[in-house]
Amino acid sequence: MTSFEDADTEETVTCLQMTVYHPGQLQYGIFQSIRFFNREKLPSSEVVKFGRNSNICHYTFQDKQVSRVQFSLQLFKKFNSSVLSFEIKNMSKKTSLIVDSRELGYLNKMDLPYRCMVRFGEYQFLMEKEDGESLEFFETQFILSPRSLLQENNWPPHRPIPEYGTYSLCFSQSSSPTEMDENES
Amino acid sequence: MEKPLTVLRVSLYHPTLGPSAFANVPPRLQHDTSPLLLGRGQDAHLQMQLPRLSRHHLSLEPYLEKGSALLAFCLKALSRKGCVWVNGLTLRYLEQVPLSTVNRVSFSGIQMLVRVEEGTSLEAFVCYFHVSPSPLIYRSEAEETDEWEGISQEQPPPGSEQ
Repeated sequence: MTSFEDADTEETVTCLQMTVYHPGQLQYGIFQSIRFFNREKLPSSEVVKFGRNSNICHYTFQDKQVSRVQFSLQLFKKFNSSVLSFEIKNMSKKTSLIVDSRELGYLNKMDLPYRCMVRFGEYQFLMEKEDGESLEFFETQFILSPRSLLQENNWPPHRPIPEYGTYSLCFSQSSSPTEMDENES
Repeated sequence: MEKPLTVLRVSLYHPTLGPSAFANVPPRLQHDTSPLLLGRGQDAHLQMQLPRLSRHHLSLEPYLEKGSALLAFCLKALSRKGCVWVNGLTLRYLEQVPLSTVNRVSFSGIQMLVRVEEGTSLEAFVCYFHVSPSPLIYRSEAEETDEWEGISQEQPPPGSEQ
C-alpha cells in the first residue's frame, strides 16, 4: 500500500488540556454537557466561548450563576513565532476572571500562559497548552478533577496531596467520560 | 441615559474598481462587542464583493485595555492567502495588532482609513463608511506581498477558494 508513504506529512496540532473542578460538580450536574477526555479538533480561527448559553457557547455549564458568555479563548500568531498562542478574554460583566494572580474585568484579555489556573466564582480550570505545527487546527480536551486544584486546599491532611492532583488521576479513571446524573448524591 | 458609542470613521478606496467595490457597504453599521468580520463571505458583517478578498479576510475585535474604560480594537488577519498591511506592519494569517486613533489599512487592493472616536458604551460600537474618490495611502508605503501579487487584477487567481 503506497498511500501511507505518499500521503502528506501529518502535522502536530496545538493542544489545550483543561482540567476542571467545581465543589458542587457532583450534586448539580453543571458539567453534564462536557465530554470529558474527548479530544475535539477545531479550526484555528474559531473563537471558543464558555458559558451558560448553548446557542452562543461552544462549552456550556448548567449553572444559573454562570454568565451567558463567561469567557472566550482564541488563537493568534505572535510575530516572530511559528506556533500559535492563546488569548483569554473575560466576557462577563458580573464576575472577574482570575488567571493565576491577574484579575481580568469585562472585555479585558491577556495571553494565556502555557500552564495556568483560570478561575471565576467557584470554578477552577487548570489550563495546559502543548505546541503544535499546524496553523489550521487545534485540539481541546477536558479532564474532570475529583478534588480542588488549588494548592492551599486543606483536603484530608493525613493523605499525601499531589501538586494539582490530576496527573495520577488520568490513569486511575476510566477512559469513558464521567457521566453525572442530576440525582446523584 | 445611554452611554455614547465608540465611532469608527472608515474611508474606503479602490484604485481600479472605484465605488462599485463597496456597493454592499452600508453608510452606517452598528455592531455589538463580538469581533466584526470583513470579507467576501455571506456571513461577513461587512461584505465586499472582490475576487482577491477571502471569505473572512480580517476581523476587528473590541476589547478593553486593563484600567481603561474606553473600547479598544484589535485587527486580526484571517486570510490564508492574502495579507493585511496595517500602519506599516504586514499581518499574515492569525497575526493581529491593536488599532491606533488613525489607521491606514491595505488589503486586496483596497485602501482603508480608520479613525477611532472614543465612546464609553460597552454594549456596541458604530461604523460610518465613506467612499473616497482619491487614494488614501501612498503606494510606496503599502507593500503587499501576498500570493496573488504579479497576477493581473482583472483575473482572479486559479483555485481562489480557500
